[in-house]
Amino acid sequence: MSKIIDIKDLSYIYLPGTAYQQQALNNINISLNQGELLGLFGGNGSGKSTLAKLLNGLIYPTTGRVTVCGIDTSIKALRNDLWKKVGLVFQYPEQQIFESNVYDEVAYGLRNLDLSESEVKSRVYEALKRVGLIPNSMVNLSPVKLSGGVRRRIAIAGILALEPEILVMDEPMAGLDPLGQKLMLDIIKARQENKTQTTIIISHNLKDILALADKIAILEKGYLVFYGEVPELLNHIDILSKFRLELPDYLQVAYALNARGIKTNSEINNLHEAGLELIRIISSQKGKF
Amino acid sequence: MNDIKLGQYVHGNSLIHSLDPRTKIICCTFIVIGILSSHNFWYLLAFLGLILVAIKYSGTPLSSIWRSMRGIRYLLLITFLFQAVLTQGEAVFQVGALSVTREGVVIGLINLLRLVILFLGSILLLMTTTPMKLSAGLEFLLLPLNKIKIPVQYFTTIISIAFRFIPTLVEESLSIKDAQRSRGARFDSPKILSNLKSYLAILIPLLASSMLRAEDLAEAMDSRCYGGNPNQYRMRTLKYDRVDIYLIIFMAIVLLAGLLI
Repeated sequence: MSKIIDIKDLSYIYLPGTAYQQQALNNINISLNQGELLGLFGGNGSGKSTLAKLLNGLIYPTTGRVTVCGIDTSIKALRNDLWKKVGLVFQYPEQQIFESNVYDEVAYGLRNLDLSESEVKSRVYEALKRVGLIPNSMVNLSPVKLSGGVRRRIAIAGILALEPEILVMDEPMAGLDPLGQKLMLDIIKARQENKTQTTIIISHNLKDILALADKIAILEKGYLVFYGEVPELLNHIDILSKFRLELPDYLQVAYALNARGIKTNSEINNLHEAGLELIRIISSQKGKF
Repeated sequence: MNDIKLGQYVHGNSLIHSLDPRTKIICCTFIVIGILSSHNFWYLLAFLGLILVAIKYSGTPLSSIWRSMRGIRYLLLITFLFQAVLTQGEAVFQVGALSVTREGVVIGLINLLRLVILFLGSILLLMTTTPMKLSAGLEFLLLPLNKIKIPVQYFTTIISIAFRFIPTLVEESLSIKDAQRSRGARFDSPKILSNLKSYLAILIPLLASSMLRAEDLAEAMDSRCYGGNPNQYRMRTLKYDRVDIYLIIFMAIVLLAGLLI
């Protein structure tokens, strides 16, 4: 697999040389292969959102290098076109909606790509479907009158329509109801099925993403305190407890069983596998109770 | 504008920071009267020196003030050019049909200095005074107008809310700008129309969120019993020191000197 993101010794300072100078990121090294899903975790002010903007070329490194899709983001001429390859869904994206109907809103980025109107139309309809909306009944509505959850899905459709090679979502679940959160996970899952598309999910809730992610990065106050694959993280109980990262319930059960001396496979990825594992344990323990 | 927001309060411990806001407002008023009534170039230059000393003394980084000055460079240039060209008098040199006059250059320089002093004075006031102190000071000074049925407290509440939300709005507009840029909006396009459309994509969401915020703020104020009365508590926290009085006397002398020259 080819490397699609390569971050080397990256540091970023906000407002250098002023009273408000602030070191946002310190010596970050991350590399990600095409098709992988990276979960990026960290508390408030840990530098997650700054990292997202660096990937999209909105800002460029103070020192170090960020290479995305083979493009070095410190080169201005190349950086300005990076939005075509890296789709960035900001926090609360529903707040940036400005067109008077859903169709134009989703088509905004596509028209900036100078696509033909028929291509724009097919992509808008496709993107709306992908976020679980029915295009024919939506396109003429005014976004203002829709609920927050639907508006967010429209904003995300606006990015998905661009068909970016890398999709970065900053806190996509924040402020959504349980149904909205499930829909959001479905959108992410659907994307993951396509093995060429890379996704980065920024969140402060590990539980949501753990089952989906290939790799996890944890930031604290601008430092990368962990970067690696999911099973590796699960072996770092110290990191999990330090950041109060809550595991999915089935993994908590598996760990608790292991702690009590009942050998349980903790490399399970979903509730179904957990059920099978429990049945196996119960049947193997038969007669001991 | 990835810089300190223009006129944003910068925390500090200098003498200028600790002055009573009323002193600073009165001094600024003196500065305005002084520089607008004097035509003496040297007096204005001395005034500029005085302000620069105050800025240096306040610990505000000169570099960031210099950078914010760049924001008004065209205004300054246009002011100077118009005065230099449009004033009647002895021609210094001629460019086509336009002649630059000696009197024009002098008046141009004077107006240029005035603008710079006004700009620096107000920046210094805003950067060293918290919005709350500023509005308490304003409210106290304008309170006599209440006697002629002018609701000063509403006015100062509006001003303090406006000051409070300028940095928030700037921050929000920057983040919306980033969001639209990542959908391909261009703000440096050679086509003016497409630039305008891009700015519209910032203005509309910004306006919508400001409306929502205003509504929320109104409800929050209501729920904490805001009744539009003068803020006695805030005004009571103001305290005059000996330094304040000295400074006002000093500035009054400077002002008088300007009027007499």
